[in-house]
Amino acid sequence: MTQHVSPRLAGYATIAAAALIGGLVLGRVELVAVAAPFALAAVAAPALARRPSVEATLELDRERALESETVAATLTLTAAHAADRVDVLLPLPPQLQTDARNPRAVALAAGTPKALELPLRTERWGAFVLGPALVRVRDRLGFYSWEEKLGGRAALRVYPSVETLHALLPPLETQVFIGNQVSRAKGDGIEFADIREWEPGDRLRRVNWRATARRGGLWVNDQHPERNTDVVLFLDTFTDVQAGVSGTLDMTVRAATSLAHRYLQRKDRVGVVSFGGFLSWLLPGSGTLQLYRIVDSLLQMNIVLSFAARGVDVLPPRSLPPKALVIALTPLLDPRAAAAMIDLRARGFDLVVVEVSPVPFVTAGDDPLEKLSYRLWRLSREALRARYERAGVPVVEWRDGVPLNVPLEEVAAFRRYARPARA
Amino acid sequence: MYGGVFAYALVREHERTAAPVTAALGGVGALLLLLVLRRADADLLVWPLGLLGVGYAVAIAVRGSGLDEGAPFVAAGLLLCGELAAWSMDERFGIRADRAVVVARAVGVGALVFAGLAVAALVVALSATSAGGGLAWTVLGSIAAVGVVALGVAVARRAEA
Repeated sequence: MTQHVSPRLAGYATIAAAALIGGLVLGRVELVAVAAPFALAAVAAPALARRPSVEATLELDRERALESETVAATLTLTAAHAADRVDVLLPLPPQLQTDARNPRAVALAAGTPKALELPLRTERWGAFVLGPALVRVRDRLGFYSWEEKLGGRAALRVYPSVETLHALLPPLETQVFIGNQVSRAKGDGIEFADIREWEPGDRLRRVNWRATARRGGLWVNDQHPERNTDVVLFLDTFTDVQAGVSGTLDMTVRAATSLAHRYLQRKDRVGVVSFGGFLSWLLPGSGTLQLYRIVDSLLQMNIVLSFAARGVDVLPPRSLPPKALVIALTPLLDPRAAAAMIDLRARGFDLVVVEVSPVPFVTAGDDPLEKLSYRLWRLSREALRARYERAGVPVVEWRDGVPLNVPLEEVAAFRRYARPARA
Repeated sequence: MYGGVFAYALVREHERTAAPVTAALGGVGALLLLLVLRRADADLLVWPLGLLGVGYAVAIAVRGSGLDEGAPFVAAGLLLCGELAAWSMDERFGIRADRAVVVARAVGVGALVFAGLAVAALVVALSATSAGGGLAWTVLGSIAAVGVVALGVAVARRAEA
């Protein structure tokens, strides 16, 4: 432990010495009497000070939590010798709040552990490492103090809350594996598609006896098979526009979590590509484990400033499987991400662009020049959207506070009336 | 507490010849104490106490012969003033303390001030006895002064370490 001595200890010794010498010089016993208490303090404080032996352990009642839940953190302090005052501070990130006293000063009895409970309210998602706690032990009169970081570290992952999505975007094409998505193709399935003439190899139970009786030959039913989908969440992490605690990256992570959760519930395979200054990807997979993988990777997501030119060709082919539905979540601010998405469309991917709008986080300014710049910026965004639409890519704007269902429904409406252009 | 000691130092000087000096020193010390508390600068805490102590020394030096029986209370008052000011500065971070911690410090400050008062009173009482003067007492006093200076140096070195 790092020891600190209060400057008043030396000050008291100085006063005592000066008063004593003054008393001798002036021959006044009163000054010797004035010196006596200060000399006593200067002697007693070092004599009574004892280097403390305090240990601390930090524990959380769980390692994972959802937003707006409460996690109990317990800091247990143990002292070999009694400590009259122990100041304890557990540094917390702004996303974690507590109503308990932090910092707090407690007294420790020798050998008796003291548990300090801190209920932590998770205000926002993120991956956090709590601890070590800052511990300062003082002697009774505050002449000596010892400081150290104690208690070790405890990891806490706070997952973003999942928005309820009523409907998901159907892909243009499904994969070959069994799933819950009714394919546009014809084959074995439940959903009726059409009738056709019997061919060798057709099973007897597929014969449509009514049609056969009317037409005089064997006719069989065709069905749409139930297949799964590969969904790739393409996250633009080049830039983040923030206002307070909310921002485009925050919205992106929340949307990606909700979409991954819902698609994985539907037995689809979901992958993530974080396209930004720091490039990362997660190959498509299914199941609960994949959900945890995705959310854990989303928690680590950060904006890394980079001027390096990037394209989708740097991504491994398996991260973007053929016929995958690519849902791009982007603020449409960085030209590299915009170009990469056009490239994806040109490569034949079924691309949907959800524009995480930065507009609510930007103010136009009062200056005429600032207002003009703002209008030009809005116009350039409109032009970029038009460029996507000409390529047959649905672009929908999603603003803060609007449910994610709204832009998804807009995409579905777009697809009902517009078909993607083939390059 | 500071004001009480200041007022006592002014009142004790009957002829009022050194009253302006005592008042000036005490006044400057009071202002300095306010500044120290405002800035929570523990390094400067010794100066207001020292200035008032000098003011008191001037007052009793001008007063001439005769023992001031209130000297132990002046000493204890100055020490209590210093301890309360230090306590106030320690609480500037707003760390909410358990009741046991507050009680322990209050008891500690009280015990230190009471012990200081007792020691100072003992010094005054011993000076009132007819033990006589002479070389032996002067040597003993000098040794005590040197010992306190050495203690101050030792404490300062320990603080630096």
